[in-house]
Amino acid sequence: MKSGSNLERILESGQFAVTAEAGPPKGTSPKVIQRKGELLKLCCDALNVTDNQTAIVRMSSISGCILLKEQGVEPVLQMVVRDRNRLGLQSDLLGAAALGIRNVLCLSGDHQRFGNHPTAKGVYDIDSIQFIQMVKTMRDEHQFINGEEISGDAPFFIGAAANPFADPFEFRVTRLAKKVNAGADFIQTQGIFDVPKFVRWMEMVRDRGLHQKTHIVAGLIPMKSVGMARYMRNNVPGLSVPKELVDRMADSKDPKEEGVKICVEAIGQLTEVEGVHGVHIMAVAWEDIVPRIVEEAGLMPRPVI
Amino acid sequence: MITLEEKKLEEIEKMTKSCGRLLVLGCETCAAMSFAGGQRQVAELASAIRVGRKQSEDQGEVVEDSIARQCEPEFVDLIGDKVAECDAVLSLACGAGVQLLAERFPDKVVLPGCNTSFLGVTEELGVWSERCAGCGNCILDKTAGLCPIARCSKQLLNGPCGGSMNGKCEISKEVDCVWQMIIDRLTRLNRLEMLEEIFPVKDWTPAGHGGPRKMVREDLKT
Amino acid sequence: MTKNDDSMEISYPPCQAACPILTDAREYIQRIAERRYEEAFNSVRKLNPLPGVCGRICTHPCEAACKRGQVEEPIAIAALKRFASDGPWTGQYKAVLPDKPTGHKVAVVGSGPAGLSAAQDLALFGHQVTIFEGLPVLGGMLRVGMPGYRLPKDVVDEEIRSIADLGVEIKTGVRIGEDFTISDLFDQGYQAVFLAIGAHKDRKLGVPGEEGLEGVVSAVSFLREVNQGENPEVGKSVAVIGGGNTAVDSCRSACRLGAREVHMIYRRGSEEMPAAEEEIREAIQEGVQISYLTSPVEILGKDGKVSALKCIKNELGKPDVSGRRSPKPIPGSEFTLDVDMVIAAIGQAPDSSLIADDVGVTERRKRIIVDGPYTLVTTQPGVFAGGDAVTGPATAVEAISAGKRAAISIDLYVRGKPVPTTEAPKAHETASLPQRLIDRTKTFARSRKASISVDQRLKGFDEVDLVFSEEAATKEALRCLHCYLGAKVDTEKCVSCLTCVRVCPLGIPTTSKMGEITIDAYLCQACGVCVLECPVRAIDINLGSRGEIAQHIEEAISSSKQPGPAIVGFFDLHGNFASKDVESLAQDYPNILPLMVFGLRRLDTSDILKAFEYGADGVFLAACQPDRDPFPKETERVKQRAAHARTLLEALGIDGGRLEIFDMPQEGLVEKESVAEMIQRLGNSGQARSA
Repeated sequence: MKSGSNLERILESGQFAVTAEAGPPKGTSPKVIQRKGELLKLCCDALNVTDNQTAIVRMSSISGCILLKEQGVEPVLQMVVRDRNRLGLQSDLLGAAALGIRNVLCLSGDHQRFGNHPTAKGVYDIDSIQFIQMVKTMRDEHQFINGEEISGDAPFFIGAAANPFADPFEFRVTRLAKKVNAGADFIQTQGIFDVPKFVRWMEMVRDRGLHQKTHIVAGLIPMKSVGMARYMRNNVPGLSVPKELVDRMADSKDPKEEGVKICVEAIGQLTEVEGVHGVHIMAVAWEDIVPRIVEEAGLMPRPVI
Repeated sequence: MITLEEKKLEEIEKMTKSCGRLLVLGCETCAAMSFAGGQRQVAELASAIRVGRKQSEDQGEVVEDSIARQCEPEFVDLIGDKVAECDAVLSLACGAGVQLLAERFPDKVVLPGCNTSFLGVTEELGVWSERCAGCGNCILDKTAGLCPIARCSKQLLNGPCGGSMNGKCEISKEVDCVWQMIIDRLTRLNRLEMLEEIFPVKDWTPAGHGGPRKMVREDLKT
Repeated sequence: MTKNDDSMEISYPPCQAACPILTDAREYIQRIAERRYEEAFNSVRKLNPLPGVCGRICTHPCEAACKRGQVEEPIAIAALKRFASDGPWTGQYKAVLPDKPTGHKVAVVGSGPAGLSAAQDLALFGHQVTIFEGLPVLGGMLRVGMPGYRLPKDVVDEEIRSIADLGVEIKTGVRIGEDFTISDLFDQGYQAVFLAIGAHKDRKLGVPGEEGLEGVVSAVSFLREVNQGENPEVGKSVAVIGGGNTAVDSCRSACRLGAREVHMIYRRGSEEMPAAEEEIREAIQEGVQISYLTSPVEILGKDGKVSALKCIKNELGKPDVSGRRSPKPIPGSEFTLDVDMVIAAIGQAPDSSLIADDVGVTERRKRIIVDGPYTLVTTQPGVFAGGDAVTGPATAVEAISAGKRAAISIDLYVRGKPVPTTEAPKAHETASLPQRLIDRTKTFARSRKASISVDQRLKGFDEVDLVFSEEAATKEALRCLHCYLGAKVDTEKCVSCLTCVRVCPLGIPTTSKMGEITIDAYLCQACGVCVLECPVRAIDINLGSRGEIAQHIEEAISSSKQPGPAIVGFFDLHGNFASKDVESLAQDYPNILPLMVFGLRRLDTSDILKAFEYGADGVFLAACQPDRDPFPKETERVKQRAAHARTLLEALGIDGGRLEIFDMPQEGLVEKESVAEMIQRLGNSGQARSA
């Protein structure tokens, strides 16, 4: 075991993992996170705490993780290289280790232009792949990125993101391989709507044997409305929402129900794909739906290892 | 001007190894003025590469040429025939020039012979220093004509920091504290009260933090 | 973006512009500096048929014009000309005659410098030339007016022989107006006549006692006797009247012929004295006493012989027509000198009675009238005239110039072409240098000619001045400031980077607000630093250009067939070495390929790399002593460039020891031990160049 985290144990044991997102608030109240923890603790193996997601300032990811831990929920610490340079990242990782956080998801982060501080200076001192490498070195070599020794252990289960739908499609697997070589133990993908395309991507992943070197956790975004479907189809770069799905949402009398249905169907298909070791449900501002989706997908109860 | 410096010969030799017939292409404006890419440097570098190739028995002729500016498509196109006869081009221009070459010659290996350094001034022959960071939003009116973005190590807008000592920056005794200079100059101009106000946070979008920059002058476009 | 200085239009350096025959002194000075003496001689000789003569007795207006004169002293141009004309290499010179003679016949009357130069140039044009000389000897005033201690007879003879060798027919002892006339010449088939009869007639003093007393002689006849070896008797105490070179020649000849006292009587002050300063100085060394501001009043006699000279002191009044202040006698200042010989040396005139029937002469001075200084056409068609006969007593080089101009006019005339009237070029004065430039110019003392001792001189008519040693000559030639050989900006290429402005050790280049660079070609001393520092290679130079350096490197290496390492040695011409040092280096160390550069400062890193590129196994730079280097600070910078070259070589895996910098020894090219060591080392370590 690299970290001994629940998520690691589930994935390593060959169980199908379920994770979800618990975004921290744009404020100081601990209740937002506590509520999401309470809601999701039984249906998920670990909860991702986002890090200034979409470049909007929120409570820090580490604090959110601690709030979850206090409730007995295992967090996945999301960290982006947009807001901190190598010093800040490493120092936060030391703190996270000290506080018992075991899962970390290494990300670039959305560009600051998209958020609520568009004139901010982006840091981007290192990139996400270098970040993965850095965490691995800290964990396995007990060394900082500069080669200096770290006292104590940094037992992290290292995650990374992958987007099978961004361009150039063929290179996406190469980049995944780089992340895996850099040390990614698990991958949480971008939200999947176009399952056939994801399946093609997975074929390429398997061709390279990457599915045996890392755990691929497929990302899902439940759609709450036809507006959301349209918005994601037209405005969110890196998402591939097929027209049929938008139409399904539009044609449905109860779009919410239709969204759940679509999501559950997708999970059903994804569990069949060789190399997919779990799902990650990103129900932004609709966390309440997650338990139902997990239930209907037949992934309850969650195993205890 | 944009300042550049020649890459180390070891690095150039490595990147040009086994690349066949090589065109060493000078850029006769900023790069020349930086003594990194004018005809004089082209001759020196090409000669050095030839000596190196002789030494390592690497085949391939090394030819020399130069254009006024590699950042202008019209100039770049003038050497199209010459480029066509070569396997690779070693550009002694700034990064902009190298990239325009790559853009105009999609099927050629294009290599950089220089490192692009900064926007600066000539202090004396062979000595240049940075003056401008190209932040896209000039504030020199507020800082006595001395730029803290280019010249303060921390890019502080409300400096100096606690590390300023005897007019020098904490990073090195060789580096002047620009905030000390700003204060001195405003004192001389009897305008020090300008620094009483807190400088608001800066919009970094035009500095490139809003993504790659592009400038369009509608009145000039044809 | 840039422009060159407008003065670029003036292509002649001051020395050349000042020379009546436009001798390119700068060129032969350069060749001497390069130790290429034969080429130096050829450069002189191609224009001047009498280089040895001019090297000795030329009044060298070039030196008065020389830019170096504004710094400390002018280049000793005449002495350098003599050096170039005085070595074993002169025998190699061959003038090229046209394949086919024109068939035109030209008569030259008089064999002085005017006649000789006309004869030469006419012969080179392909005409058949005959010289008619009234005296039994050739050379005119050069032969009979110029004492042998200044101009040895054999020098004159030798140079005349080389003219005769062109096929010029020479007749001596035939005097115009007595033995033949101009119309005789036309009758004999000569199509043109050049009258170069000189000015051999003395002017009279016009004082009582001049006529009838034994011991009163004219300078011309005195010197003629002396020079024809007749050893005329001189008095114990001699007074020479006059202040020109003829007066000084008379004084010094009298000294050599045994006069115990020689007085030179000159009516104006020392400032006004026309004789060459050097001549006056040497005369004084030889014991001549000069009485300035003194005029003869009467020659006193006893028993029909001169016994004394009565003189009067003068003061200077208002400037006269010649611009000189005219002497005014001071009443009551008369005094008497006890002398037994008086030589009148107050000027000569042409003996125009000989030709006055045929061509027009001036009323008072009886000079031959010509229609202009460039055509030299007289009043009679087909008859041309030049030299002292036209101008009155003047210098040898002016006479040569007249002969050359006459040759052109005559050539046109005999070929039936019109002789165009050209204006004489405006004499332009050497522009004065800004003080800041003078201050920045390193001074070098002018080389002094060695001369024989006064005792030795007074024993006879041995030549006083010795030729420059090679060391003195090269050192002197290296003082040249290279007017107009310097930097020229190519306006197409210039990017106004200001490097030239920054690197020029003399501060010559200037810029306008818009970046137009101006380099004053006259002020520039052609150090070459801006040429190599210019990042866009927009500057070139006429002295040791970049192209020349590169070509020499390639030639040197490609011509080397020596087994073992090939080592290119760059030698600074400012070093103290002789041409034989170059030869012996080539003999002793054939592995060294020597390349001479006008200052190591001219070498760029790329020149050093070029040598390796062309296949050299090693390169060394031999630096001259800083005190011999006109730009020692600039030479220091070549060491930085060499260090950079070494870094590059090492980056390529080539031992930096293949590039060395040596200091040139006090004498010679290089310390042989260091060269030998380098050859051995590189021989052992294998060759850098791939087989």
